[in-house]
Amino acid sequence: MTSLLLAIAVGSLFATGTYMIMRRGQIKLILGLALLSHGVNLLLFGSGKLTAGRPPIFLDKKHYTETLAAFQPADPLPQALILTAIVISFGITAFVIVLVNRRHTVTATDYVHGELVPLLREGDPFDFSEPSDIDQYDWLAYEVDEVYDSDDLPLGFPPTPQSEQDESAAMEEESYRWP
Amino acid sequence: MALNANLLAAPVAAPLLTAALILLFARWGGRTLIRHQVALTALALCLNLGIVLTLFYGAAVQGRRFVLQFGNWTAPFGITAYGDGLSATLLLMTAIVALAVYPFAVATIDYHRARMGFHPLYLFLLMGVNGAFLSGDLFNLYVFFEVLLMASFVLLTIGAQPAQTNSGIRYVVLNLLASTVFLVAAGVAYGTLGSLNMAQIAERLPLAAPAVRTVFAGLLMVAFGSKAALFPLFFWLPASYHTPPPAVTALFGGLLTKVGIYTLFRSFTLFFPELLLSWQPALLTIAGATMLVGALGALAQPGIRRVLSFHIISHVGFILMGLAVALSGNSLAIGFGLGAAILYLCHHMIIKTALIMAGGAVELYMGSDRLASIGGLVTRQPLLAFLFFMASISLAGVPPFSGFVSKLSLLQITLDTHHWVVSGVSLFASLLTMINMMRLWRESFWGDYSRPSRVPSRILQSTIRQQLMLIPVGALVLLSLGLGIFGERAFNLTMRVAQHALDRDAYIEAVSPSTLHSSGLRSGAFNVTGPKFPDSSTHLFASLGEPPWPAR
Repeated sequence: MTSLLLAIAVGSLFATGTYMIMRRGQIKLILGLALLSHGVNLLLFGSGKLTAGRPPIFLDKKHYTETLAAFQPADPLPQALILTAIVISFGITAFVIVLVNRRHTVTATDYVHGELVPLLREGDPFDFSEPSDIDQYDWLAYEVDEVYDSDDLPLGFPPTPQSEQDESAAMEEESYRWP
Repeated sequence: MALNANLLAAPVAAPLLTAALILLFARWGGRTLIRHQVALTALALCLNLGIVLTLFYGAAVQGRRFVLQFGNWTAPFGITAYGDGLSATLLLMTAIVALAVYPFAVATIDYHRARMGFHPLYLFLLMGVNGAFLSGDLFNLYVFFEVLLMASFVLLTIGAQPAQTNSGIRYVVLNLLASTVFLVAAGVAYGTLGSLNMAQIAERLPLAAPAVRTVFAGLLMVAFGSKAALFPLFFWLPASYHTPPPAVTALFGGLLTKVGIYTLFRSFTLFFPELLLSWQPALLTIAGATMLVGALGALAQPGIRRVLSFHIISHVGFILMGLAVALSGNSLAIGFGLGAAILYLCHHMIIKTALIMAGGAVELYMGSDRLASIGGLVTRQPLLAFLFFMASISLAGVPPFSGFVSKLSLLQITLDTHHWVVSGVSLFASLLTMINMMRLWRESFWGDYSRPSRVPSRILQSTIRQQLMLIPVGALVLLSLGLGIFGERAFNLTMRVAQHALDRDAYIEAVSPSTLHSSGLRSGAFNVTGPKFPDSSTHLFASLGEPPWPAR
């Protein structure tokens, strides 16, 4: 009976988690991931014996086999596994929350799908065609904050314009000051 | 240096301790502290390579099996680290890739990312990958998977640009789903087999009910196949690999999917080798579909890194094809398929990293990797053009590079075992690879010089950065050439490694998990209860019946 209840709980957690992941919003995604990890934890719990009122460790060295047969101590390993899994899923959930928050900040959207950023573009929000300045987007895709050279370069290394040198030096100065 | 099993802890400990050192003493600093970080990281990578070379010599060349029981607890009770030829080969390739990508990363990673902890994360990723290769325990494998996943999440999204966060969500969610499935598999293993030690699972799995074996194999196949980017489960890879900085893509392309492939190799050779025969049609179908989808998808992609990330999928298909015929020997050797797959894996790790680095260099010079808008780089960067071309034809399988030897051996075994269709598909995928590589080279190096976007001045104006970007590419291409020229020796070595990996009895004997009533109990402060066996009445997997091994 207990195992049936446990199986039902695991199954419903999995089902709910899967459903939540399939939905469109990012917060629901986080909830779905959390529910799935709870489902797995319960399944790990069920992989041990469901014993009530028996301690996992006992300290009678002399009559080891007899006491083992008589008391049937609880299995401590699933608890240890679940503890590890909880810690890991906690860390990952925290990371996902920060990532979702950051994504919401930089793209101003809550939808999981969408390569481009509809809400930041002018005009039709459902126009998913490539913008004409896609190269700029490409470049922004992996550079945080950089000094760019202004126009096409000839062979060899041209001297940096004085203004950019100043800017670069200023950035470097600032970076020293930041903690 | 005496070859000791304690050496197995070093590939995990060295990156971990160095990263901890960096985080303790050289954290978030200005440029001076970042130089310290770079020096420490380079030191750890070289140390890792040295240790792993020693291990490789002992495990792959001499054919020894190293088993380290942490804390001297006997097998099913403690944590087991296991290193044989397969692990050592993968470890060596990992060390080479990590060391080769690092100069490229130092040259191209911008200051802000370095300040946010790029270098310690690099080491954490390496630690996770090394630990996954060395783990002899299913749950530890999960933990190391999570370590490397966490490091890769942060490496992928560090900088938090819009495209990075977009792809980061998909990558994180799909990989977390795969990890969840893997954890379910671990729970099923513990519930039905009563152990998480891989040797003990291998020992007991033939005695278990067929349903248990099938479910366990299916769960592992889904989990590891998703990590390895097999056909229906590969969507996280092309969605994310083109967004981080090129150095991160090179590292991911060299290392991440290979962990999944290694675990597939390990689980299929150790846990259920009989499924390699009964599931062979399914495996070959998946392999063929993976090859085709990867190559055809690459044909449709507009950017260099997108093409290359689809090619990773395509080549995973080749490796899976080798695994599917792993048990088949031909007139030359037993386990020919697995040996060929391992050789292909080594070739793939080397040359794919070199190609992504070369493509990243093109992207950094041009400011964009869109093939339609770049061109004519051969006049400005002739050495880069040469290296890119050499790496391309090596990937496509042109002699005398390593691609030729590994593809030839794979084709030989599939033809010898009369799998005509999948051989034809692999040849077609190779042709598509060639077409794609030539397309990449032509679009980016030939034609009129056009640079569509502004480029950071630090890339174009620093000679040392350019050297740091090109030297590792050249070194990897030379390595691929050497692997091709000394192909016979390399092939003999991987064949021996494959035969060792297929010998599951030797694995079980080397780890020697103590059985229930033998002397597995340690006389210590506590009485340690033996591995538990589920009580059939109150247990989630109760309907599967009594296990055939003795109950406690």
